[in-house]
Order: sequence, then structure tokens, then C-alpha cells
Amino acid sequence: MSTVSVSSVRKNFGRVTAVKDVSFEVFPGEIFGLLGPNGAGKTTTIRMMLDIFEPDGGEISVFNGRIDEAKKKRIGYMPEERGLYKDLQLEQTLVFLGTLKGLAENDAKARLEGWLKRLDLYDHRQKKIQELSKGMQQKAQLIATLLHEPDLIVVDEPFSGLDPVNTRLVKDIIEEQREAGKTIIMSTHQMYQVEALCNRIVLISNGRTVLYGEVSQIKREFSGNAIVLEGQGDFSNVPGVLEARRQNGAWHLALNSSVNPQQVFRHLAQQDGLQIERFEIAEPSLDDIFVRVVQEGKEAEEVRYA
Amino acid sequence: MRNFWLLARHEYRKLVSKRSFLVGTLGFPLIIMMVMAAGIFIAIRGDQNTPIGYVDNAGLINTAVVPQTDEDETLLPLRPFPNETAARQALTDQEIQVYFVIPADYRRTLQLDAYYWQDDPSSTVVSDFNAYLRANLASDYPASIRTRLVEGPDLVVRSADGSREFNSRNIFSFFIPFIAAFFFIFVVMSSSGYLLQVVTDEKENRTVEIMITTVSPGQLIGGKALGLLAVSLTQVVIWVLAGVVAVFIGSFFIEALRFISVPWSLLLVVIFFFVPAYAFIAGIMTAIGSAVTELTQAQQIAGILNLLFLLPFFFTALFLANPNSPILVFLTLFPTTSFITVMMRWGMSTVPLWQLALSWLILVGSAMLSVWVAARIFHTGMLRYGQSLSLKEALTAVRSRS
Repeated sequence: MSTVSVSSVRKNFGRVTAVKDVSFEVFPGEIFGLLGPNGAGKTTTIRMMLDIFEPDGGEISVFNGRIDEAKKKRIGYMPEERGLYKDLQLEQTLVFLGTLKGLAENDAKARLEGWLKRLDLYDHRQKKIQELSKGMQQKAQLIATLLHEPDLIVVDEPFSGLDPVNTRLVKDIIEEQREAGKTIIMSTHQMYQVEALCNRIVLISNGRTVLYGEVSQIKREFSGNAIVLEGQGDFSNVPGVLEARRQNGAWHLALNSSVNPQQVFRHLAQQDGLQIERFEIAEPSLDDIFVRVVQEGKEAEEVRYA
Repeated sequence: MRNFWLLARHEYRKLVSKRSFLVGTLGFPLIIMMVMAAGIFIAIRGDQNTPIGYVDNAGLINTAVVPQTDEDETLLPLRPFPNETAARQALTDQEIQVYFVIPADYRRTLQLDAYYWQDDPSSTVVSDFNAYLRANLASDYPASIRTRLVEGPDLVVRSADGSREFNSRNIFSFFIPFIAAFFFIFVVMSSSGYLLQVVTDEKENRTVEIMITTVSPGQLIGGKALGLLAVSLTQVVIWVLAGVVAVFIGSFFIEALRFISVPWSLLLVVIFFFVPAYAFIAGIMTAIGSAVTELTQAQQIAGILNLLFLLPFFFTALFLANPNSPILVFLTLFPTTSFITVMMRWGMSTVPLWQLALSWLILVGSAMLSVWVAARIFHTGMLRYGQSLSLKEALTAVRSRS
């Protein structure tokens, strides 16, 4: 049974439609990626899911029904726009937030000690939040999200502001939570983290679900739509290519769905100024898929309104 | 409900533990104590035992005639002089603090002169000499008439329904509703001012999204409002206690303080009007705090609105002259001013029941509307980080579902 079920939700703010038609389900024991370009409707969808906004249409079910005060205690949320009370001490703040989530004060203190030690914040527990670095505040925020051991964890850009060491630490913690059977919804623009962590994803663009499913399945479906090239010359302006980027001396080209690799190869072979040394059909990265789906979606919207 | 109390306790502890709270809370009683000490000093200074001199050209004062006084009260000694030259010399030698010259035609003119150096004669000097003068002027009358003449009238003014009275001996009691009004408006405005700060802090700190996915907006604002109200009440209770102690100590030195009586019926006004008045202003402050981006911006708007709540104090003279004037009746009914106006009129007049009932109903209705509107604006405005709500957007938020 799904932990979260979002079905054809819609939300307007005045004349602006922030979410038009978004659907997905999230299950226990998985890390689910909620992806989309800026302004796609991800945050509004999360806010509807958490009962901050009431949807204008569609249905949302959390823990098998409407969200209520008791269910809120089973949720840990780290929003994108986040912060803590700057003029309060770290320990005091986290204990307070823990008690609001239903923990007894002593339990909150006992649990907090372990988290603070693990995230290298124990020696800073008496400091005011404003005295902590941005990375430390970010880690404190993660503790606030997880201290009450929620069953559903919603994290929006969990890695922003973290150095590589702490990124690894947070990643490990998220994976541990999955192994413990928790349901995790992660929204991020860091596609390599999505590839590394997420079982399934939904991609929202322009307020609609444009891609939904298992990461491995989606990548298989999109294979053939990306090629890796090595050679002499400029491969950045090839017809039918949505995005061309250089990485480790090789060109990675994301192709439009109307173009196949053979057509691209034929075109390149006819160009005098280009010399091909390697031509390989690549399994596209999520990054490539993201760019392609979003750009194609935009073009379709433009055609629709033309 | 647990979270409501947790939030209230958290806000209370947070604010009470701040140094500024301690300074503000203890500073005011210190000022009261200093003012009271200064008053006592002046009173004591007036009571210094240096005699009052006089030159009696009218043959009026017989030193054998001594005014009646209370057991613990003593009058300054009188010292007669045969002429002004001798009196002036004694004043120069500081043997007396002042001398009065009673002219020969005093009984006709009722005028006399007082001579002193730099310091004005204290009120004690004047009242003591008056007492001697009256006692001598009335010495020929029977004892009962003499006492009445010397002590003057003891005027008690009662309202027609007998619910309120004004006694000329307890003049301070007359001002108690004014002082109480001042304290209560302080509680209401300081608590709502704190609330304004707390709401903008939530927005500036970006904590609101975590909070409203943990507690309901009603619990969040209600809990905070209660905690902040408790902070202001703590302050006022400390101040009132300090005032009571100061009055108790001062009453040993200043006679008028002994006759202070508290008009307990005023408590009825507080019981009925305080909570809706606070809810009304708390709603307004929450809406302002949610709609703007920074505290300074919020304070500017709130500062203007505060004037609407303080308006009755600008009409103090009217309260004394005509407490039932149409302007004050209007202020009694107007929701921002009703609580304070009713309190201030309470000491001066009998407020008609229909005005009290209508005023209370309007205030309660306004408070409910204010809280409802605040909830809508809070819901929309609090998630608009770094952006203020325009008036149009605020109106849209009020009309929208969520």
C-alpha cells in the first residue's frame, strides 16, 4: 500500500495555475525523486501533499487518508526555504521542535545527543543558530527533520550548501532511512544524486506529470537518444540535438526524439570540417533525459499557444 | 492541545530569559520607587521642624488656641514677632523658614503676606499656618461648628445609582481607572507588538513552513499569542505589586495615599473587554506581520494603527469635563477604542448599559473578523518569502479558499 498517493491534483493562485495535473504514488522503503525545472510546481505539489495548501482538484492521500494532526507527527519535512530560530541555542531549538512532533523532552534530548555527535555538532550545541556555519545549519535542519523518527520524510534540496564530506554523510543517512523502511520523497536538481539514490521518479514540467516510473526503466526507454562522440571539430551545432556538452574530452549529445543516431551519424559524416574518432550510442543520464523532456515539453507548449 | 501549550511556554521562556525583559521589567518599578522617594523627600523636607514666624498686626492669633490634629500628626511650631524687622532678622538667621504678616485689616481684606528666601514654603507650611489661622478665627464658635469650619467640607459625590462615588479625601482613587486603562493598554499593545515581531521573525527565519506542517496555524498563532500575553501580564503584575508596595510605604508620609480605594467594579470591564480587545489587535498584528517582509516595515504600519488604539488618551480633558459627550460615546462603541474608553469613563460617569452591551458586541464581532482575516492572510503571506502582499493580493487571500 502506498504511503502517499497524489492523483490528478490541480492548484490555482488567482489566475495563475501552478499545478495542472500531477499524479504519482510513493511506497514504503523507497526513495522517490520529485523532479522538475524551477517553477514547475514541485513545491506547490509538496505543500498540497502536506496540507499547507488545499488542492483545487484531484485527490491526495497520505498514510491512507486525509492528513491530520496525528499524521503530521509521522512526517519529517525539510523545505527548500528553510531556517531555524537564529537567536536560540541549537540544542534548545531542536529539542523544542522534537517535542512539537510528539517527543517527551527527555527523549528528545537523549536522541539528539546521538545525532549531534554523528553530525559533528555536539560541541556547538550551546551556540546560537546564527553563530553556526551554513553547512552546520543545514545539518541541524536534517536533525530537526529526522529526530522524531518519521515514517514519511520529505526533503527538498537536501544537499545544498554541503561540502562533499557532508554530502556523503547526508546521503548515507538518507539511504539508512530507506533501509529502515521509511518512505522518502526527495526533490533536487542534482541529477547524479537522483541516479545514485532514487528508485523511482516523477518529472513535473509546467504543472504536469511528464515522466513517471523506475529510474532504470526510464533510462532504458530513452537509450538511443544520446550519443557520445570523440573527434576533431565543433559538434555543438548539430541538427536534431537538444543539448551538446563536453565532458572528459568527449562530446555528449542529447537527441530530439524525432531524430535517431543513424541520421546524426550520416549528417556528421558529410561535414568536411569534422572528423569522427568515436561514435557511441549512450545510455542517457537523467540529466539528459531531464533536459530533453523539459525542452520538448516547452516546445509543445509554445506550439499549443502559437 | 499539547502543542498549543508547548508553543505558549516556549515563547514565554524565550522572552522572559532575555536581558532586555529583565531591564524593562525591573526598570519601571525602580523609577516608581525613585519618584516615590522624591515625593517622600519633599514631604519630609516640608516637615522639617523649623518654626513658622508671624507678625500679627490684627491681633488675631492667640497661641493658646491650638488646632485639632490626628494622633500621629504634629503641626510646625509658630513663633510670633513684634514687627517685620525682627521677623526678617530671624529669617536671615534661619531661625524660621518663613514668616507671615497679618495686616490690621485682615478680617476685611482676608489678605496676608508671606516672606521667605529662596525656597517656596512647602504645602505643609501653608496648610499648618492655615490651620492655626482658622482655629483662631473660629475660636469664638461652639466646638462642633469650629471643627467643621477648621476641617472644611468632606465632599462625597455619588452616581445616581450609587455604584460609584468620588470623595474629596481620596483624590487618587479618582485616577485609578485612568491608571488601570494605561496598564491594560500597555499589556494589549506590548503583547501584540511582541506578536508582530514573532510573526515577522517566523517569516524572516524561514521557520514557518516547518511549523505549519507540525502544528495548525491556529495553534501556532494562538500558542504564541498566549505566551506573549503572559509575558506582558508578568510585567504588569510586577509593576502593580511594586506600585502597591510604593503606595503602602508612601502612605506613611503622604496623607492622601492613605485614602486610596480600588473601584473593584472596574474588574467587570476587564473581564468582559480584555480578551476580545487583545484578540482584535493580535489578529491585526498577525495579518500585518504575515503580509510584509521585514519587522521595520511591519512596525511602521503598526505604529500608525496603534494611534487608533491610543486615541482615548488624547481626549483626557473631555473625559474630565464631559464623560458622556457624543465623541466619547462614539469612542465607546468603536472597536479599537472601546476597551480603554469604557475604563476611563468608568471613573467619571455611569456608562449606560446599552452602550456597554453594544460596545462589547461590536468588539467581539471585530475580534472574530480580525482573527479570521489574519488566518487567511497568514496562510498566504507567510510563504511569500522576501515578498510583501499588496492590498489587492491580501484581499484576494481573504476571499480565497486557502
